[in-house]
Amino acid sequence: MSKPTDLVQGTLDLLILKTIALESMHGWAIAQRIRQISKDVLQVNQGALYPALHRLEQQGWIEAEWGESENNRRAKYYSLTKSGKKHLQSEQANWERLAAAIGLVLKTA
Amino acid sequence: MRWLRSISNRLRNLFRKDAVERETDQELRFHLERQIALHTAAGMPPEEARRAALLEFGGVEQFKEECREARGVNRIESLLADVRYGFRSLRKSPGFAVISVLTLALGIGANTAIFSMVNALLLHPYNFRNLDSLVRVWENRGIDEGYDARYIAPADAEDLRSSNGIFEGLTTYSFQSFSLGTEGDVQPILSCRVSANFFDILAVNPAAGRLFSAAEEQPGADQVAILSYGSWQRRFGGDPQLLGKTISLNGRAYTIVGIMPKDFDYPVPVELWVPLALTPAEKADRAQLSLSALARLKSGVSVSQASAVLANFSRRLQQEYPRTNAGRSTTLLQLRKELYMFTLPLFLLLQAAAGFVLLLACANLANLVFARMIGRQREIALRAALGASRGRLGQLFLSETLLYSSAAGVVAIAASFASVRALRTSIPVGWTKWVPGWDGIRVDGSVLVFTIVAALGVGIFLGLATMLHTSRVEPNKTLKETGTGTVTRAKRRLRSGLVVAQVMIALILLVCAGQTIQGFVRLANVYQGFEPANVLRVEISLPEKIYAANVKITNFYQQLLRGTASLSGVRHASLVTNPPASNVDNETTFFSIEGQPALKVSETPSADLQIASPDFFDTLKIASVAGHTFSDADNADAARVAVISHGMATRFWPNGDALGHRIKPGAADSTEPWLTIVGVVGDVRQNWWNPLTRPVIYKPFAQSPQRSMTLLVRAASNPTSYVSAVRDVVRQMDPGIAMEGINTLEEEIADSIAIVRIMGILMGIFGLVALALSSIGVYGVLSESVAQRTHEVGIRLALGANPRDLMKLILGQALKLTGIGLAIAVPCAIAMGQAMANLIFGAITVDFVILGGFTALLLLVALGAGYLPARRAMSVDPVVSLRYE
Repeated sequence: MSKPTDLVQGTLDLLILKTIALESMHGWAIAQRIRQISKDVLQVNQGALYPALHRLEQQGWIEAEWGESENNRRAKYYSLTKSGKKHLQSEQANWERLAAAIGLVLKTA
Repeated sequence: MRWLRSISNRLRNLFRKDAVERETDQELRFHLERQIALHTAAGMPPEEARRAALLEFGGVEQFKEECREARGVNRIESLLADVRYGFRSLRKSPGFAVISVLTLALGIGANTAIFSMVNALLLHPYNFRNLDSLVRVWENRGIDEGYDARYIAPADAEDLRSSNGIFEGLTTYSFQSFSLGTEGDVQPILSCRVSANFFDILAVNPAAGRLFSAAEEQPGADQVAILSYGSWQRRFGGDPQLLGKTISLNGRAYTIVGIMPKDFDYPVPVELWVPLALTPAEKADRAQLSLSALARLKSGVSVSQASAVLANFSRRLQQEYPRTNAGRSTTLLQLRKELYMFTLPLFLLLQAAAGFVLLLACANLANLVFARMIGRQREIALRAALGASRGRLGQLFLSETLLYSSAAGVVAIAASFASVRALRTSIPVGWTKWVPGWDGIRVDGSVLVFTIVAALGVGIFLGLATMLHTSRVEPNKTLKETGTGTVTRAKRRLRSGLVVAQVMIALILLVCAGQTIQGFVRLANVYQGFEPANVLRVEISLPEKIYAANVKITNFYQQLLRGTASLSGVRHASLVTNPPASNVDNETTFFSIEGQPALKVSETPSADLQIASPDFFDTLKIASVAGHTFSDADNADAARVAVISHGMATRFWPNGDALGHRIKPGAADSTEPWLTIVGVVGDVRQNWWNPLTRPVIYKPFAQSPQRSMTLLVRAASNPTSYVSAVRDVVRQMDPGIAMEGINTLEEEIADSIAIVRIMGILMGIFGLVALALSSIGVYGVLSESVAQRTHEVGIRLALGANPRDLMKLILGQALKLTGIGLAIAVPCAIAMGQAMANLIFGAITVDFVILGGFTALLLLVALGAGYLPARRAMSVDPVVSLRYE
């Protein structure tokens, strides 16, 4: 796999983890939330969300549970696991450090 | 816990694949429905809302596949596909499959068989709880005994038992042969006299009945016996009502109180255990080292700690009892180690040899697999061209080779049940009666684990080798080529390397096997100083009750000797207490030399004591060195005489003037009569582990008659034909006499070195297998490389090349590879031979005849392996071979 995809994937993972940090959500709601919060800047194919969710679940950062949705339908809700929370913290710190560094380079260079 | 969840997820994904698929479908459908609902709520017509939602989502099927990938299902599924593929290719070329599985099974099976021996004899010789804490304890007198005796003085053992913090307990034992039964039916029976705590120390329970109580250690209260399982079955037909019944031992009635379990045979396979009831005087004895001792270390006490404590103990006894204990030290050795101190290196040698056989099998199979890979080059190139990664191809090879090796493992396990049984049953009981743990040789859990690990290891090794071999497939080039594919220089080098390695391993293994067998043959010939051929031995013991007086004993035996000697064809008949190769040490005795009193009791010299009738030396053809041997005149009324061994004479009378000196058994103050030395005879190897020159004192039978003697009969030929005649002689004199151990002396010698002989045979088998495997390997590689040159040979012949030169060319190639292998192997084999030299009493030496012979043999094999395919290639019509592609 080439590097740019890795970058996008890592970013998407981070966004998903951050989004469900407060409450468990189903896939569609996660997609909506990311779109709203990023003010439509981050536009990914909505479908790309699901492989990422399944991978995160496989890695044990998040767990899934079937539940009742707001329109009374069965939906798969994702929430952070304990280790997922720790992972999010360290990844967020990493990201911020990296973003700050890149910002610094772009401003000064 | 993350990994736990991950594993459970993965398993769910694999085994509940359909359910998981359905859930994913449902999840994606839910998303799309919500998105459509969002759009229709915003006022879109339903059809358009649906299209917009699908557009925003992207390719549904593609994401489903990505989800599967993300769940890790694909990796496992592809593995299953590879295994299925492996099975298919196995089925497609059954010949290849059968050959490779059998080759590997042979290699793995050889290792399994040897490991099952190592496992039973070395790792689990005894079935005792916490075997490593059991130790043997004995005293050394600090003077050269001429052999390794492992006994302790009763009083010292008692002190040791009561006064130290290192042992959980200590027990003593000694052997005794009884006459079992009453008048009319008397048989000798080997028993062990043991302290009451003997079985507790070993932590074994009887199969029926009870063990001895402490009260039964007192003389007078000791008439109880525990039977071995074997003797319960053999002698009493497994009578379930036997407990509480009495048997007669040496005319005394003993009550049977217990029966031991089937597998209990400590210290050696005896038939009976009775309490060791020592009189107070015997208990207080410090002079004679007369008992064997066994102890269990307290938990946490190491052998070295215990040895240090024992050193202090010996020092204290030396100070307290200088008269008897001066110079005496105490030694301790783990039971496990004692048993196989000699044979451990031999077993390691065997295991190493089996490992070599497996290596050869692997090399052969690698060659086969590589040969097949050349045929499959196009397939592999196609796979690579279609995008199979190197890892993916590696997985394919690995699953194929693992399939072969697992199949081989299964075959090996199945075969090992049969081969281990064959190993155990095909070897006569006589050979193995002195090998503790032999009956325990079986395919158990650890043997299975060993086999499985070996099979997997072989599979992985072969898979990796194949991967390495095919790592540089260039699809572009390979796919453009026509014909059966070519072999690159690098690959040819790899396969040539395999031939070189095979020749090398084969030579080393053959030379080691040859030298080991030669060593074993030498060991079989260690029995020196007498001629075992044409001698029959019969152990006889007279019941104490009837033959109480010496006169009666002497009369019986003299009549027996006369009766036997008068049989036609019998040259000599004689008696001795302990014939050679009995696997039992001689009775030893202290002795004093007249005019040379030892200063201390502890310095009194010791010697083996044998009692022999006059004809003994002639029967065994033992050389007379000086003086004369016994005659019939040396009877009970005559002056006491002795004959001594050459080793004893040179040690104590280095000037050669032993004759005429007087000695007596025991210390200088003993009441034994003085014996005049009348003769010196040649040294005799008593048992294969005894040094040849041990001092031996022979006393004439008529002057010290014994009830238990061995009758030796030298016949003109065919000694076994005299068995029934000798039996008749004894029966006519007294039908109640027990006879046992009827055998020729030659066979008894063979039995006594059975374990060594078994190993020699196994090494020989390994050597032959190695020769076969390496011949096949060399032939396979050469014949194929020649076959690939059929085209070239055709061209050369068509252009008028001399067939003789062509043959030379091809043979030269064969000889070159073999030559390189041999050149590397010869120094290795010499080094191995030197390393092995000390394994079995120095019996193994580097033998250049063996080395040269096997080197020539392998060269011949290589010539044959080159010649046959070369002739085939040249016999093909050039027209045909030119078309051959």
